[in-house]
Amino acid sequence: MGSRQITEKSLVMLRSLPRLSLANIRDNPGSKHYPKRGRGQHSGDKHGAGNKGSGQRQNYMRLGYETGNNPFYLRMPHEPYYRGHHHRREYPPISLLEIQKLIDTNRIDITKPIDIASIVKSGLYRFFPDQKHFGINLTDEGVDLFATKINIEVQWASELVIAAIEKNGGVITTAYYDPHSLFLLKNPKKFFETGQAIPRRMIPPPDVIEYYTSAEKRGYLADPEKISQERLRLSQKYGYELPKLETDQYFNMLCERKDPRQIFYGLEPGWVVNLKDKCILKPRDEELLQFYAS
Amino acid sequence: MELLKTAILKTLWRPTVNIVRTTYHADKSRLIRRYGYEEKIWNGGLMPRGEGKRLPIPEYRPANPWTERKALFGQNDYIDILGPGNLHPVKTLYSVPSWIRGVTGSEYHILLRKRKMWARTGTPLVRPTKWKEYEKRLAFLYRKLNRKTKTGRSST
Amino acid sequence: MSSNLLNVFKRLNITAATQIRLCSSVSNVVPDNREISVTKKEWKFPPQYTKPREVWIENLDTIEEKKLGLFELHPLVYATVPRIDLIHRNVEWQKKYRWVSWAHTKTRAEVRGGGRKPWPQKGLGRARHGSIRSPLWRGGGIVHGPRSGKTHFFMLPFDMRIHGLTSTLSAKFAQDDLHVVKDLELPTEEPAYIIDLIESRNWGPSVLLVDDTDYAPRNITVATDNLPHVNIMPVYGLNVYSMLKHDTLILTHSAAQKIEERLLIHLHSSITEQQMKFKLSQV
Repeated sequence: MGSRQITEKSLVMLRSLPRLSLANIRDNPGSKHYPKRGRGQHSGDKHGAGNKGSGQRQNYMRLGYETGNNPFYLRMPHEPYYRGHHHRREYPPISLLEIQKLIDTNRIDITKPIDIASIVKSGLYRFFPDQKHFGINLTDEGVDLFATKINIEVQWASELVIAAIEKNGGVITTAYYDPHSLFLLKNPKKFFETGQAIPRRMIPPPDVIEYYTSAEKRGYLADPEKISQERLRLSQKYGYELPKLETDQYFNMLCERKDPRQIFYGLEPGWVVNLKDKCILKPRDEELLQFYAS
Repeated sequence: MELLKTAILKTLWRPTVNIVRTTYHADKSRLIRRYGYEEKIWNGGLMPRGEGKRLPIPEYRPANPWTERKALFGQNDYIDILGPGNLHPVKTLYSVPSWIRGVTGSEYHILLRKRKMWARTGTPLVRPTKWKEYEKRLAFLYRKLNRKTKTGRSST
Repeated sequence: MSSNLLNVFKRLNITAATQIRLCSSVSNVVPDNREISVTKKEWKFPPQYTKPREVWIENLDTIEEKKLGLFELHPLVYATVPRIDLIHRNVEWQKKYRWVSWAHTKTRAEVRGGGRKPWPQKGLGRARHGSIRSPLWRGGGIVHGPRSGKTHFFMLPFDMRIHGLTSTLSAKFAQDDLHVVKDLELPTEEPAYIIDLIESRNWGPSVLLVDDTDYAPRNITVATDNLPHVNIMPVYGLNVYSMLKHDTLILTHSAAQKIEERLLIHLHSSITEQQMKFKLSQV
């Protein structure tokens, strides 16, 4: 029986039933489990102390305590593998398979360049800049299934992923965003409603500047000449024919890149987006223009 | 003869027997105890009718189900769905004090929040006894929860 | 341009219809096709598996009912599965999320006095006691009593609240308790008029009127001011509890459209953000 008939039948049935009111509604039978009523304060439980013995007799030794021995956790020397882990940058992964799924289910528009804002907007990528998330790590799962020509900008990508995207005629860039601009990219509306001017994107910190200036990683600060050389080198390494960008019908879209100081596509730093009057206010003052110029 | 006499007497004269009902066995003796005491519990069979004191029946005051508060109960509870979307229904709970609006937790959690939010107000100075009692209760609950109870159900 | 023209024609139709009515003064005639305006909608989210429901647009400016037009309602909002359990859970949520219990008892520490030991520990032949405010004593503290400020707050998941609204609207519509009127304009501000109107149209004694605007027309507000069971609400004030408390739900044409639009948007968009766990800092 199709769902349509169930809907129709239940609505027809309701017509002949008394009027629905606060007095004759109820939950499905058995949907709620009521706690058993035992004796005593916590339903006759043993208050978390276990059954008999040292647990109940207030003699439960603390975790790791070995009745006077030098305990294990003190016997072993300190090996700080994870020192400073809470300060390190995190790049929550998203795979090529997932990107392909987002494209297939029409959650991402591939006629426009894809950046972290459009992936967050799809609703299927959990991204929290306040938890040291610094952007997308595009992983190579589903690398053979990926077959779309896109212009994508991520924050971290492996060589295989770069090859997979370029094999399909697409373009990939790795770009750094400081946490503040990531907050803006995650929820642009919230920022625009504050009425502030769009800030400049900060330059990367010293430890990643090498990554983002290298042509192998397709860094956004790398020399375009070197990038095209690297594209060719990568195609020869993996053995595929590099599709020609110049003759492509989406050539303009594929060539679109953000300025190193720019946060949103189409919006420059210093502009104010007015959502109420649906207009953009641009600075005219010389000093401001000089400040926001990259 | 004697037997016949008593039989005839029994048929002719029948005294009315009044059974004295007593509440307690101790009351069955002829000795009158607690002279002047009025029994509070009614033991005379059916409920008393009419005479003497009337039973206290509260005056019937039907509740008005259409007072303004009841008629408009629940208004704006779906304002995040049906409204423009920038207002959460918790923000419209004007009848609830702001420090407890949308809060869940045990007595300890709520008291902690209350103390935190009221510390900036004049309460500690204006109501020092109340404030001292909050702190006393918090200290008591802290000791109880952290030192005298174990969390979770027992494994056995 | 063409839509403007269409609108003009529609308006003409409506005015023509009222004039004819006034001249003929015949009540309860099945309206001709010429008199009523049939609105064909341009759906933003076209109904996929079921046909749209049709509803009469009624009037409020006369006591007897006139049908001013035919109007289509989206089946996803007004004819979906009436989940009674979801309606119940919505009502429970509405009652509980605002409920704070202020019942309060004092513990032995808070009851005044009781610092002194009432009598010596030994030698009197009496039971040992340390304080006259012990819970064993009359007038002493209460153990495990209610403590003030107990909340029953929780947030029902966003999609459940959406489906609670659609279920209730569908149930109301299926039971003929939902009517659509053109607007809330009354010819008079007499309460007797609106009482007669409700009586003659066989609407339930209690009526909830929902309008698109924040301010209802003056006549209807004055007329319903002293009728506690006839209430007016804006669209954003609509909720499951009120719909069930009032017997009949009257939506204006624009309110019905607005409700449909808001609910359809949520039914067709990603609500992962609203669906996330409620945090006090988010509001």
